[in-house]
Amino acid sequence: MTLLGADEALVAEQEVPAGSTLGRYLLLKAGGALVSLAMVVVLGFFSFRILPGSDPAINLTRGRRVSAEEVDRLRVQFGLDQPLPVQFLRYVRDLFTGDLGYSYVYNQPVSGLILDRLGPTLLLTGTAAVISIVLGLWLGQRAAWKRGSWFDKVQTGLALTFWSVPTFWLGLLLLLLFAGGLRLFPAGGMMSPGTDATGIALVLDVAWHMVLPVLTIVAVVYAQYLMVMRASVLEEMTSDYLTTARAKGLTEDRVRTRHAVPNALLPTVTLVFLTLGGLVGGAVTVETVFSWPGLGYLTFQGLSAPDLPLLQGTFVVFSSIVIVMNFVADLVYRVLDPRLKAA
Amino acid sequence: MLRRLVGAGAALALALPLGLSVAAPPTASAAEGDLKVALTSDIDTLNPFLAILASSTGILRFQYESLVQYGKDNEVVPGLASEWETSPDGKTWTFTIPEDRKWSDGEPLTAEDAVWTFDAVKGQEALQQANGGLVTNVAEVAAPDPQTLVMTLNSAQAANPGAELPIVPEHVWADVDAATYANDTDTVGSGPFVITSYAQSQSVELKANPNFWRGAPSISGITYVSYKSTDAAVQALRTSEVDVVSGLTPAQFQSLDGQDGITTNSGAGRRYQAMAINPGAVDAEGKPLGNGNPALKDKVLREAIMTAIDNQTLLDRVLQGLGKPGQTEVPSVYPAYFGFAPGATPRTFDPAKANQMLDDAGYTKGADGMRTDKSGKPLELRLMGRNSDPTHQQLAEFIQPWLRDIGIAVEVSMVTPNQVNDDSTLGKYDLYFTGWGIGPDPDFQLSINRCDSRPNADGSGSTSESNWCDPAFDELYDAQHAELDPTKRAELVKQAFTMIHEAAVNDVLYYADSLEAYRSDKFTNFTQQPQEGGVITGQNGYWGFYDATPVGAGDAVSGNPAGGTPGWVLPVGIAVVVVAAVGVVLGLRRRSTSAADRE
Repeated sequence: MTLLGADEALVAEQEVPAGSTLGRYLLLKAGGALVSLAMVVVLGFFSFRILPGSDPAINLTRGRRVSAEEVDRLRVQFGLDQPLPVQFLRYVRDLFTGDLGYSYVYNQPVSGLILDRLGPTLLLTGTAAVISIVLGLWLGQRAAWKRGSWFDKVQTGLALTFWSVPTFWLGLLLLLLFAGGLRLFPAGGMMSPGTDATGIALVLDVAWHMVLPVLTIVAVVYAQYLMVMRASVLEEMTSDYLTTARAKGLTEDRVRTRHAVPNALLPTVTLVFLTLGGLVGGAVTVETVFSWPGLGYLTFQGLSAPDLPLLQGTFVVFSSIVIVMNFVADLVYRVLDPRLKAA
Repeated sequence: MLRRLVGAGAALALALPLGLSVAAPPTASAAEGDLKVALTSDIDTLNPFLAILASSTGILRFQYESLVQYGKDNEVVPGLASEWETSPDGKTWTFTIPEDRKWSDGEPLTAEDAVWTFDAVKGQEALQQANGGLVTNVAEVAAPDPQTLVMTLNSAQAANPGAELPIVPEHVWADVDAATYANDTDTVGSGPFVITSYAQSQSVELKANPNFWRGAPSISGITYVSYKSTDAAVQALRTSEVDVVSGLTPAQFQSLDGQDGITTNSGAGRRYQAMAINPGAVDAEGKPLGNGNPALKDKVLREAIMTAIDNQTLLDRVLQGLGKPGQTEVPSVYPAYFGFAPGATPRTFDPAKANQMLDDAGYTKGADGMRTDKSGKPLELRLMGRNSDPTHQQLAEFIQPWLRDIGIAVEVSMVTPNQVNDDSTLGKYDLYFTGWGIGPDPDFQLSINRCDSRPNADGSGSTSESNWCDPAFDELYDAQHAELDPTKRAELVKQAFTMIHEAAVNDVLYYADSLEAYRSDKFTNFTQQPQEGGVITGQNGYWGFYDATPVGAGDAVSGNPAGGTPGWVLPVGIAVVVVAAVGVVLGLRRRSTSAADRE
């Protein structure tokens, strides 16, 4: 799972050139994002073609009696008989029409495969992200306000411990304990096999299946929000405006929630968007452990074939999500931070 | 601001599953009598013309009958055809399809359906992906009347040409594009079960076919449930989320053995596990291929290597004894073709003899006990295995010291399955672990040892098992291919496999058992294939689940029978929803009141 450190988020914040107008700023950021996207497309195309054993025509026909003509026919069918530049141009042209190619293994358009799996992945990572963010930010500001206390020590210690645990290991542990041992939760899947549940019963069934995978992601991910929020609140705590607020006779609680926390949230907003992108790709291991029918497992299948169009497709989609999220982070930060607007 | 975030977060968390549940695939209602089977590899497609993966073809075996079927002991038995007749020259096969055969939708099933299916595969390249090889020898298929099918072959063949090819209903497939038809909802079939719904990477549901000619099965249907690993599937079996799990490792198998309500089955598998020895690979045009150690062109060296490997120990230690020691490439599950030809003797583990053979052949031993090849270079070999298969690493850990004992240094490398495929095809190996799953008819396995099965220089073209070639073997292959007398054919087949053994190019180590487990507290009467010591899942047929029956309904109700949401989830879930909603409301209220006393 790729996690961005807090300092990386801060670096992103400093890249903003002073004195630019909003329009120029937008243009700059959008341009950067587009260049990144173009790089992803190029890399996605060429990198998977230098993989060993990446001739799909040979891979697909292995273990069966086929003539050389049949293999050649497959190559023509996949467009592999064309020179690489021609293949690349076709690939780019198709991308613009939303066509990510045709999966060799599933005999289906890649875009359809990805769309089918995007829902479950977003449901899983979205829920986990919301819980991690809320939990991390809340615990973070609490810990900062009582810095040095037992609460602070226990919370940061716990969070950092979970952060350093390998995701798949934690997932397997939860699976063995809560599914196999205690039998409280299912061992995998998104809903009970062959369920005819609808409405609220279906929602609860899905929620019941989500508990363990979401718990796994949250445990590993929330620490970074906690740490950034904690650092950010600590920084605000020395500010003069808090003294002013206290001088007005506001309660300590009010000073924290109305004055310190809103200001401290700024740096975390960027972090939230930066990590959201990574979370989608990071779900691969959790999805595999809990048999979640999402993009992660699709990628895994693509790798074991190997299924070039499928791999290219998931690579482009994963990367695009990260790039778009980074772009959104830049925009949101610009909107939220009055100092940047004034500049 | 934080509260607003909390509120929004809670709302989002609640709304997400609601929103997505609309998009969730509709699943047909699963009766309690459905057998739930864990599926640990994904399905490529349920289109029988395109499906290649074993998981898919295994499911399709329940859906479509072939003209003839493999019986409970792997013998050829009636399928759609009740009788068949072979002309004396072996080139014309006549099948009789009884009048009462019906498709699952009630339409009559006739010879026309079979003709349409054969012609579709023969006529359209796109439909040859899965079964093209089955029709290459078929010249013409005709239906002189609805109950008679006449198949003319290009050359005589002993293997029944009506086996394996799934016959599809013309009245469904003629109206769709057979090359792209998904065939995953409301399908029509002729076997004991018919696919009713499919949610990719989640589940496949099959319902009992009331029109199945042998009679409807006792269970109402089968639901295949996807698990990404056998570890997860084993947990699901323990919690009764599924009823059948297969593909277990010896450790998983032993952990389930003796558990309440669970029965384990160690069935004779149809795969052989071998170590191939590169005899000096050449391509289809006879040019050298790859970079195998030239010393291995010497048969004596290859025989010495095989003599220094103890198959029984590998079986006992790597498989915990769950298998049979290896002989030829036909596993013991097929007794007709299993074993050596009369007169041939198996090699026995004898390091002293192996050492003597190498001494006599002129591989001199240095002071360190290691040998040099005949040109004086140190005798060093590479051994390649798949990093996805833990048994390969374990095998290597035994074989490396055994070969060191006879003075041969071995460098072990575990690489990706694709790397093994590529390097072995291109002859870039000295030793590597290989193995094939063998069908009831040995013809294909023999064919990939023919001289003309050697690949092209780029690795394309035919598949060769060991890149070995002997014209005498090709003659034996041709003879058995056309021999219609089963006894005579079996003799020829054994002779041919014995020849591969004696050439010392492929050391068959063992036949691993297929390890399965099922909830015997919920289902019983699974049929093994073969009936004595055979497998339940992954059969050459549909017997395993066809005869299965639910255990008395009263026993199954206790606990959490269907593996569905347990009772506590609903009240607890509702409580969580209510608490979250109250939290959102409170959060919003506090926000609005606080605006008033803002400084």
